[in-house]
Amino acid sequence: MAVGVEEEVKSLANFLGSPAYKVTTQGEIKVPQLHTGNGKTLTGLATISKFLARSSPSGGAKLLGTTPEDQAEIAQWLEYRVTIVDRSVEKKDAQAMLKELNSYLLDKVYFLGFHFSLADLIMYHGLHPVMCRLSFFEKQQYQNVSRWFDQVQHYPGVQQHLPQLVFLRNTLYTSSDH
Amino acid sequence: MASGTLYTYPGNFRAYKAQVAAQYSGAQLNVVSDPPAFKLGETNKTPEFLKKFPVGKVPAFEGKDGTCLFESNAIAYYLGNDQLRGTSPKSAALVQQWVNFADSEILPAACTWVYPTLGIMQYNKGNTDQAKEAIKKVLTVLNEYLKTRTFLVDERVSLADISVACNLLLPYQQVLEPAFRQPFVNVNRWFLTCVNQPQFKAVFGVVKLCDKMAQFDAKKFAELAPKKDKGGKKEKQPQQPKQEKKKEKKQKEEKEVDEADDVPKQPKAVDPFAALSKSAFNMDEFKRTYSNKDTLTEALPYFWEHFDKEGYSLWYSEYLYQSDLNMIFMTCNLVGGMFQRLEKLKKNAFANVCIFGEDKNNQIAGVWLMRGQELVFPLSADWQIDYESYSWRKLDPDSEETKLLVREFWSEEGDFKIMGSRKFNQGKCFK
Repeated sequence: MAVGVEEEVKSLANFLGSPAYKVTTQGEIKVPQLHTGNGKTLTGLATISKFLARSSPSGGAKLLGTTPEDQAEIAQWLEYRVTIVDRSVEKKDAQAMLKELNSYLLDKVYFLGFHFSLADLIMYHGLHPVMCRLSFFEKQQYQNVSRWFDQVQHYPGVQQHLPQLVFLRNTLYTSSDH
Repeated sequence: MASGTLYTYPGNFRAYKAQVAAQYSGAQLNVVSDPPAFKLGETNKTPEFLKKFPVGKVPAFEGKDGTCLFESNAIAYYLGNDQLRGTSPKSAALVQQWVNFADSEILPAACTWVYPTLGIMQYNKGNTDQAKEAIKKVLTVLNEYLKTRTFLVDERVSLADISVACNLLLPYQQVLEPAFRQPFVNVNRWFLTCVNQPQFKAVFGVVKLCDKMAQFDAKKFAELAPKKDKGGKKEKQPQQPKQEKKKEKKQKEEKEVDEADDVPKQPKAVDPFAALSKSAFNMDEFKRTYSNKDTLTEALPYFWEHFDKEGYSLWYSEYLYQSDLNMIFMTCNLVGGMFQRLEKLKKNAFANVCIFGEDKNNQIAGVWLMRGQELVFPLSADWQIDYESYSWRKLDPDSEETKLLVREFWSEEGDFKIMGSRKFNQGKCFK
């Protein structure tokens, strides 16, 4: 599990207007745990983020999708985040993942297409360390991921504790330069 | 916050700019677009309206505080909020850039291309081709720009997106068919995202992108065009037909000139009935009577009263390969296909073709009325495909048998003794 997962849960809670729950991590791979205050403990990012959205006093429940299709897709991206994004530590794994996401996002502004959802929020946090490590040239190679990332980090309230990443609007090299 | 009344006509994409802006800012907007409160061409020509809006065009906005505005972009600016206008001088300038781009680069070409397909403008091939190229160029520019961007200015929807999307709405709905728009993947993504935002949806409804490029709607154009003439003085009317003919001739000539570059060259369209002397029988009037009035008591008496034996002929036809006919619905398709191929003959022919019998045992027969004394089908290559599969018998217009056949086939009622044991199943009218 990525470093700073406690921070991520806290910023999620903050974004969704939730109370300041106690957050800890469990085990070597740092699985997040959220203590709801009435003796119950939730484990795992997918579970916790869904709980936070559903119980959000500021209307975060709409980020969970309104149609069964949207809800299913969000569930898929939460799973993707935990099983693929967080495990793509090796550079070549990260590259394969970015390539896949890049083609997925070609015709989409957000992961669900036209609307911001929990999927974007969770993927943004998961991909932040990955995008951080990319050079400008690499960011350009994954243009659609970069465009999506820049959009989401400018979405009001999303960025929280994470540093803003810089993306260039202009093309660095054209293919004919090689 | 701004609030007031927007005068427009229904479905006006210019007014949409103001309406979407109001959706984003929460401005209270009362849209007046339907008679009797607003009637295009009347309300906006009244002295009271012109006093407030001297140009006399819509959309026009009247605020509760008396603010009067015309020009859609100004109204949208007024009804918007800071986010829509651009929060920094640089953003605001970029918004202006795209708003002007939408009106000067997109709109003229979009209208030239789309309006003829809606029948509100005459088609001119040269202009349409130029407009297509211009739109292609505009989309290429936008596509490159939107490669790295979600929205046109900054990371939020602004008046730039609203203006450009509104001006591209008709092209996307009418003419940007999948093959044409496919290379502009970034523009498509941006456009679909815009029109699927709740604020756009509240104004546009669900936007369906075009499946097939719409072509010039000559019929609608003809319907809409005379309306304009209605206002003219009555004395002018007798001259109109001549003028129209001249116009038609001119258009034909223009068309021929325009099409001269096309490869392969099409043979010139010549009216195959040009050689025939004029007939007093009014085909259109007859068809109208047939369609709207009772066949037996009104349409048939009308027909026999006005029928011109010299100018027109009646024919009885039967399908030659009856044993090949299979299911009824297949036979229906056969007849439907023939009618489609004969589309251009409609001015000069009328028929009711009936299907008799049942599945696996049916036959086609019909009674035709056509211009001239010979079969018309050899006159055009398009018409020759089907007629050879039928037997054709010219009917003597004065005989009782003809009267009976015409009555039975055109009214779809009677014993149809001519068909033997096969019972009447359904009729299809060529009109």
